[in-house]
Amino acid sequence: MRRYSSDWYWYYAINYTLVIIIIFPIYWTLISSFKKPSELITSEPTFYPHDLTLQYYDQIWNFDRLKRLQDTESEDSESSGVEIESKFRLDGEGVKRPFMNSAIVSAGTIILTIIVCTLGGYALTVLNTPLKNFFFLLVILPILIPGISLIIPLYKLLKDLGLTNTHLGLILIHTCGMLPLGIFMMRNAFNSIPSSLREVAMLEGSSELKIITSVMLPLAIPGLLTVMVFAMYVSWNDYIYAFIFINSPENTMLNISLMKIALGGSQFEMKWGSLTAGSIVSFLPIIIFYTFLQQYFVRGVTGSAVKE
Amino acid sequence: MSRLRKEQLVGLLMVSPALILLAVFFLYPLVNSFYMSFHKWPLFGKPKWVGLDNYIFMFQDERFWESLKFTFVYTLTVTPMLFVVAIGTALLCNAKAWGTTFFRSIYFLPVVMSFATASYVWLWLYSEMYGVIVYALEFFGFGGENKNLNVWKTGTSSMWAVNAMVTWKFSGIQMIILIAGLQAIRDDYYEASKLMGASRWQTIWNVTLPLLRPSIALALILSIAGSIQAYEQFVIMTRGGPSNSTKTLVMHTVDMGFDYFKLGPAASLGVIIMIILFVLTVIQLRLFRKNY
Repeated sequence: MRRYSSDWYWYYAINYTLVIIIIFPIYWTLISSFKKPSELITSEPTFYPHDLTLQYYDQIWNFDRLKRLQDTESEDSESSGVEIESKFRLDGEGVKRPFMNSAIVSAGTIILTIIVCTLGGYALTVLNTPLKNFFFLLVILPILIPGISLIIPLYKLLKDLGLTNTHLGLILIHTCGMLPLGIFMMRNAFNSIPSSLREVAMLEGSSELKIITSVMLPLAIPGLLTVMVFAMYVSWNDYIYAFIFINSPENTMLNISLMKIALGGSQFEMKWGSLTAGSIVSFLPIIIFYTFLQQYFVRGVTGSAVKE
Repeated sequence: MSRLRKEQLVGLLMVSPALILLAVFFLYPLVNSFYMSFHKWPLFGKPKWVGLDNYIFMFQDERFWESLKFTFVYTLTVTPMLFVVAIGTALLCNAKAWGTTFFRSIYFLPVVMSFATASYVWLWLYSEMYGVIVYALEFFGFGGENKNLNVWKTGTSSMWAVNAMVTWKFSGIQMIILIAGLQAIRDDYYEASKLMGASRWQTIWNVTLPLLRPSIALALILSIAGSIQAYEQFVIMTRGGPSNSTKTLVMHTVDMGFDYFKLGPAASLGVIIMIILFVLTVIQLRLFRKNY
């Protein structure tokens, strides 16, 4: 009994409708960020941009340069859309520096997480480390207590260590948050590698580190990629730690700097063009990761939620 | 030194970075959060033991109860929304049809966006003057004659606006969990139900959903635990307003600690959040262990 026709018609109708609904906010933000001010700030929205412009990207990226231009500009310029936006630029912030800060913290978190979790996972799986099972339980423990409930003592700790307002402080906190899933994933990855491979390498006189880098890691790449992608996800998308632990403007993270853009205008006249462009800039790196490493992404993000 | 001895040492050496990180950035703050919650923290000078004063202060604070109530209302409203979308998309993606991989990757797409970015994006969609959602709602007759719809006007409408964003952003994770559960159901069950002449809805209701119960429980717990930690979507979209009606528990904690500089009560709030989440996670792990 094969049911074609109307059933499948409905199946695809529903699916494509959902696809459109899911994609729409992203599509809308993307085209908004390219619209000219006159088209963006209007009560009659257009569903595709008639005139493309990069001015918002230029503004948020090259904020400092534009700010200097503003200083020398005379006051009597016509108040076209461009000038309206440039007035707001004075009290806003650029995103180039915050973007770099976020990139540094993410890269640092990824590298440190991979090193710590590879070593830890290896020691707790392959090697005859004493108290192995106890250590593993200890490392998995943070699953039971999400970091968000520890923000007050964490803040105090960072302050005592002099790590508030530093990239390192955020990197260390993110890496610690990655430990349960990271070590768990790496342990699974190493567990599935036959121990005879290591024995052969040992007979050849390789050191433990050499065995990890040249024998074990190449076989553990899926696990490694999952850990890496999830570390990127956690650190790039973080808001609350970046908001609380970083106060100095030069170390602001990207997600926080967008808040400043959003609030930069008056409450009634948000800088929508800059905000949409900023949102796209903050979404871009993560969507690139998602496109190329989708399966690891899904595994990492849901794995963290499920915490096997 | 024997080979075993050396291996043990190397093992300890390799696991030590993880253990040090854990001790400094997890175990110490964990212990300290209890310690802090029993002390008074003046801006200058030494902390003073005050027993349960911080907890009493917190419980007598109306803002605590308001934020707790709001957090529960938010959790209770957003959880069904998330679940309906997640189970719907999971069933759609589990069909034996062309294109399911594509659909699944699109339905998961908003998950990869940060809560912060998603909030900024939807802030723009909801913009009172130029927002496309507001435009659409007014087009269909909401907002009355003057077309002055503002979703941020009342606490209730603000919450539903945020709920819509969270449903869009987060249902993908639950969908993946439910798909994993669906794929574990053997085809025999479906064939048996087909043989008995059950319609598709009867099959879903009487076969699929009961067998899916563990995954459903997991998805629900996840959504509840996530909602109790709600922070950035409200900080960015409603800023807790109008008049503090959308302030979550975590927001209240952050305010207490970093706006009012009352570290003691803030730490005790952290302990309360910790206990709630701890209980939920234990239930979650139980469910997971029992069923997988």
